[in-house]
Amino acid sequence: MAERNIKEEIKAKLKDDVMQGALSKFAEQYPGSRLKSYEGQDIDALRNSFRDMKIDAVNHIEELADKFQASVEKRGGVFYRAKDGDEVKRILVEICRENNVHKVVKSKSMASEEIHMNECFTNNGIEVKETDLGEWMIAIAGHKPSHMVMPAIHLNRYQCAEMFTQELKEEVPGENIPYMIQKARETLREKFLAADMGVTGANFGIAENGAIGLVTNEGNARLVTTLPRIHVVLIGYEKLIPTVADAAKVLRLLPRNGTCQRMTSYMTMVDGPTPVIYEKNGEWVEEDRKQYVILMDNGRLEAAKDPIFKQVYQCVRCASCLNVCPIWTKVGGHVYGHIYSGGIGAVLTGLLNNGLDDFAKFSDLCIGCRTCVTVCPGKMPIPDIIDELRSRYIQKNGAPSMDGIFQSVMSDRSMMHTLLLKAASLTSAPFTNGKFIRHLPLFFANMTKGRSLPAIAPTPARDRMEALYRNNPKNPRYKVAYFSGCNMDFIFSDSSVNVVKVLQDAECSVVYPMEQSCCGKPILGVGDRETGRKIAKKNIEAFEKYDVDYIISACPTCTETLHETYKKLFANDPEWSRRAEAFCKKVREFSSFVAEQYKRMGRLTPTSGGEKVTYHDSCHIKRGLGISEEPRALLKAAKGVELVEMHNCDKCCGMAGSFGMKYQEVSIPMLEEKVKNIKDTGATTAVVACPACMMQIGGGLDKAETGIQTKHIADILAERIK
Amino acid sequence: MEGVLLPFRGNILKYEVTDVCDLLQAMCKGELIVKKVCRDWPKEAFGSGLVDECYYDEFEKNATTAAAKVFKVKDFAEGEVKLQEILKNLAAGKYDDKVLPTKEILAVGGEERPELKAIYDNLGKDYTVFTDKFDIAKHKASAEVGISVAEFCIAESGSIVVDNKSYEARVTSMLPYTNIVFVPAKYAVKDMSVACEIIGKVFKDGYCGFVTGPSRTADIERVLSLGVHGPNYLFIIAVEDMK
Ligand code: SF4
Ligand code: SF4
Repeated sequence: MAERNIKEEIKAKLKDDVMQGALSKFAEQYPGSRLKSYEGQDIDALRNSFRDMKIDAVNHIEELADKFQASVEKRGGVFYRAKDGDEVKRILVEICRENNVHKVVKSKSMASEEIHMNECFTNNGIEVKETDLGEWMIAIAGHKPSHMVMPAIHLNRYQCAEMFTQELKEEVPGENIPYMIQKARETLREKFLAADMGVTGANFGIAENGAIGLVTNEGNARLVTTLPRIHVVLIGYEKLIPTVADAAKVLRLLPRNGTCQRMTSYMTMVDGPTPVIYEKNGEWVEEDRKQYVILMDNGRLEAAKDPIFKQVYQCVRCASCLNVCPIWTKVGGHVYGHIYSGGIGAVLTGLLNNGLDDFAKFSDLCIGCRTCVTVCPGKMPIPDIIDELRSRYIQKNGAPSMDGIFQSVMSDRSMMHTLLLKAASLTSAPFTNGKFIRHLPLFFANMTKGRSLPAIAPTPARDRMEALYRNNPKNPRYKVAYFSGCNMDFIFSDSSVNVVKVLQDAECSVVYPMEQSCCGKPILGVGDRETGRKIAKKNIEAFEKYDVDYIISACPTCTETLHETYKKLFANDPEWSRRAEAFCKKVREFSSFVAEQYKRMGRLTPTSGGEKVTYHDSCHIKRGLGISEEPRALLKAAKGVELVEMHNCDKCCGMAGSFGMKYQEVSIPMLEEKVKNIKDTGATTAVVACPACMMQIGGGLDKAETGIQTKHIADILAERIK
Repeated sequence: MEGVLLPFRGNILKYEVTDVCDLLQAMCKGELIVKKVCRDWPKEAFGSGLVDECYYDEFEKNATTAAAKVFKVKDFAEGEVKLQEILKNLAAGKYDDKVLPTKEILAVGGEERPELKAIYDNLGKDYTVFTDKFDIAKHKASAEVGISVAEFCIAESGSIVVDNKSYEARVTSMLPYTNIVFVPAKYAVKDMSVACEIIGKVFKDGYCGFVTGPSRTADIERVLSLGVHGPNYLFIIAVEDMK
């Protein structure tokens, strides 16, 4: 299989001004338009009812499929189950031969793309025409769709016109979109009228009556299912739903999320062979058309059995996960995708078609920011499924080699610090700028473009902790243990000291277990669970030695890993599962914990006026942990500070763990956008509750010479303690 | 056998059957050979409390947002006047400054509703109107206007629900550039959930769905363009006393 050079692909796409313009405009407009289409609706209730219906469907998938098959056959449709793409193609060729088919029209179907269906027609001398305008255009150009719903979003009208010119062999001007539409209508109308067979996908298949549903704006699916004398449906198992009434659960979400419409122009349900009138041997006859339904597996049934992968059945293929994805909206679907694009594309590529290898080529573009999860109709946790797929890939292929360094240093803290310090010391004074080092060797080298790097702290936080113990309150309200994580230990050592100060001031006694290590996220993130488990055990043991009420972390990524992931890591190990559970229960995120204490102490009353600060929601704190109000409440209550909100305050800053290092081409434009949004507020300080964002944003603000400071919320709070 | 006269929704209608056995069988089962998903939506599908004219205004608003042109009329007599006016306006270039030919018209639903049949007969004086299914099939590619019927409307989305089991109904509402649909104004439902619940009661086989505005695409530069494969215009004539 062809190797991909993602970095080269990214570079090319970033230079594609047409695509960049289209995507950034769309990304700006989409969230608002989507919300508008839901006006007056309880979005969450709609999402839950759809999701629950689909969870039930996947849990009974075989039954549902049997019922669907029986319903189709009862109505006279011919039913097939196809294991994979090859089998689908064999069946199609057989149908064509049996019915003497020469011309085929199809309406857009991702399932047919998935298996490269068109080959089987062209290889057998059968003409096949895509009738969806976008798909038709890009098929002419030999492009791949860059979006499930808007396949040609990466093109402008002039590029589209070139495709018309190529296909129609006449000059088609790009200025005139209506003219192009009219031309497409005429050209494709002939194809509809002449076709012997129509192939459609399905947005849903109804078990109780065997009907399929097609949702389109152009109406091409209606023509494909009306004019030819044969109708073939290619449908995946994940599209099955129990009843006609359940179709509403799909229909109330899909158009709104997909195209920001309450409903698309046409929603068509076809149930069994329907009448068709055509000229047969010179005579007009009315017959029931032949209907063939192919239910395609291609990895779907396997996924249905897996507790994590079966969530893919919660997808309605609306593509809204692309529309809000900070990566897709930067690099587009050709880079971030294989056949299906974006986050859902990664998931489907990994699960279907034996595509784990294709998946691995681009899946690390997902930065786990969880923005997609907030809009997905079926609440499908895309990043979690991607994580699971990565781990399966690693199990199959072994850990990627670049992580060798990580693995060796990750568990030995002092070695890590020495190494970092050595790296930093190789750079002499002129290279440092305040807290930030402009150039760093080793794997940090890539990070220095467009941002400054924070200096490695001369003394790691761990070595400063003991000295702070004397300030522990005599009669603490709570005993807490501090988990620093790498960044707060080696880089933002001062902020760690402030974390401890704030906790002590909030009537907590603090202890720092010295044997603690990295939380393991960088390793787990690339799918290496074996090493991840080793690290987790080490941390759990380290904290078990202390009898504390809470374990506090001021890094949301660490918090999430300690609180959520550790439990899951030991699902098959009862002893460690119990110990992890006890550990996880105690883990709390710093800012929300402090807000709770301040509230108890009557210190959460808003104050007014003061220095302007703006707050950036890190992905992991806002969408991973669901914390966004608490840090704001703390800032509003802080004396001499006035909180001003920035545009897109919760949009990823581009750091996202090792992503920022590996894909700086994408990370830097994301950072620049963040820097601009911060500058526009007029704030003098950008506050974060996440050290990774602090590194990224701090570097960006410094490099852009904005004079704006970046602080951890612990710094702001500590400054206000007398 | 050419056709049989039988009662349907209180009207005497002509049904086409191929032989007597078919007819008897159908009569025994209580269903006649009408190429529809449901022979009588109000009686068999609507149930009580789900369909109410109070939802009409919301429907009209949302249908208009979806680029349908909606006219509410009292009865078929007014509907006929409206229809004539629409046809004249099309030919006179009143819509988007485009002169749209209206010579050939496909029209379905006349067998079910004598009022419509009368309207189609009158239209035949000025236009070429095809109502026979084979004529419709033969002229589908050249006809400029299609006239058909919808069963009820949906407030939430501005959609009309069409029962298009017959080939001629589908061709009529999809191929011509202009699509004109009569819909009963008092048969409106709140949302798509209710609509699907209603459809679910009677949808045993055939072809039905929602139509929401004209055919459209945004595939070129996300610019909304109408009439890509289906009709460029959707006119909805909502008749208050239509059953
Ligand atoms: S994963 Fe969710 S958001 Fe993405 S296409 Fe599927 S349903 Fe839509
Ligand atoms: S988690 Fe973020 S990066 Fe990953 S697919 Fe979702 S939106 Fe895109």
